Amino acid sequence: MASGGGGHSPIEQFALQTLMPLKVFGIDASITNSTVFMIGAVGLICTFLHFATQNASVVPGRLQSAAEMVYDFVAGTVRDNLDDGHEGKKFLPFVFALFAFVLVCNFLGMIPGFFTVTSHIVITAALALLVISAVLIYGFAKHGVSFLKLFVPSGVPAWLLPILVPIEIISFVSRPVSLSVRLFANMLAGHIALKIFAGFVGTLLAAGAWSILSPLPLALTTALTALELLVAFLQAYVFAVLTCVYLSDAVHGAH
Amino acid sequence: MSNDDKTGRQASDAMSAADRAALAKRASEIGAKIESAKGRHATPHHGDQSQGNAMAKGLKISAELIGGVVVGGGLGWLLDKWLGTFPWLFILFFLLGSAAGMLNIVRQAQREKTPPAPSVKDDEDDK
Repeated sequence: MASGGGGHSPIEQFALQTLMPLKVFGIDASITNSTVFMIGAVGLICTFLHFATQNASVVPGRLQSAAEMVYDFVAGTVRDNLDDGHEGKKFLPFVFALFAFVLVCNFLGMIPGFFTVTSHIVITAALALLVISAVLIYGFAKHGVSFLKLFVPSGVPAWLLPILVPIEIISFVSRPVSLSVRLFANMLAGHIALKIFAGFVGTLLAAGAWSILSPLPLALTTALTALELLVAFLQAYVFAVLTCVYLSDAVHGAH
Repeated sequence: MSNDDKTGRQASDAMSAADRAALAKRASEIGAKIESAKGRHATPHHGDQSQGNAMAKGLKISAELIGGVVVGGGLGWLLDKWLGTFPWLFILFFLLGSAAGMLNIVRQAQREKTPPAPSVKDDEDDK
């Protein structure tokens, strides 16, 4: 593409490449670059936590205090948005795993040439479905059929219910949609913007006298990189917060 | 805690008076340093955090409307395809979906405004 510079399209970075074809019971389970980066992210988290907690001491070292900071951060998020008692603690590992996975995948994607796992809606949708299944299973297990009262707002005249119940149901179903679309769209848009502005640098450099202007998109790319780093963290945080908020409906029942 | 205190006292008994004074001086110096470092870091850190929080809120709310409209419209379209009543259910569910999106935004905004703890207590009262 002309605007991409160097013949690269800005969306080429999201292409899946099959590295090792694999079929499990007729399902295409090939190892792709996405799989490699997911395994890499999980491996990175496990290695980090392993070495951080290996020589745990009362006065933490550098690695250990970093791990404790992450733990405290997620624990605080769970306390504030889910439940500050025993039930919040029960979901802490789940929320921590989601937060760490999304965070590391987002940050890995910021390294030039690396694949961004979370820029594919199939990944974010799978994570969102995981969250909403946890809400449904735990909600019905704890409250039984009365969990359905979630869809019936209290203190409303009966004639309004035929309108309000469908709205509540759509509002509930839209949760996994907005959860997955938010993460995927932000990562996709951010990386496309970065690629396009970086492409302008090359295009301008090759455009004779116009190459004087090439530092402009370079500066913008630098600024965008900083912004994307912030967004990468905030998206992981938002994902964790909303997971807690949705789980809190399952824990506390109808509102 | 009391055990630690006891062993600590025994250890300090073993020290000479000059050592003890030096130790106390160092401890208070370190304490002052920590306090001043805390003071230095407190304000800019808080500013960063509230700005990040504001951005997180914005990112959170922006997708809610899209989710509601997409789910409402999609559900209506599927029902229409199934029942062959295009476009009536699509229109109806599109409107309901928009309402659901707005409801989500209002809920999010309310949750940001009020601390979650009291609302939880109200829930328990309702039952």
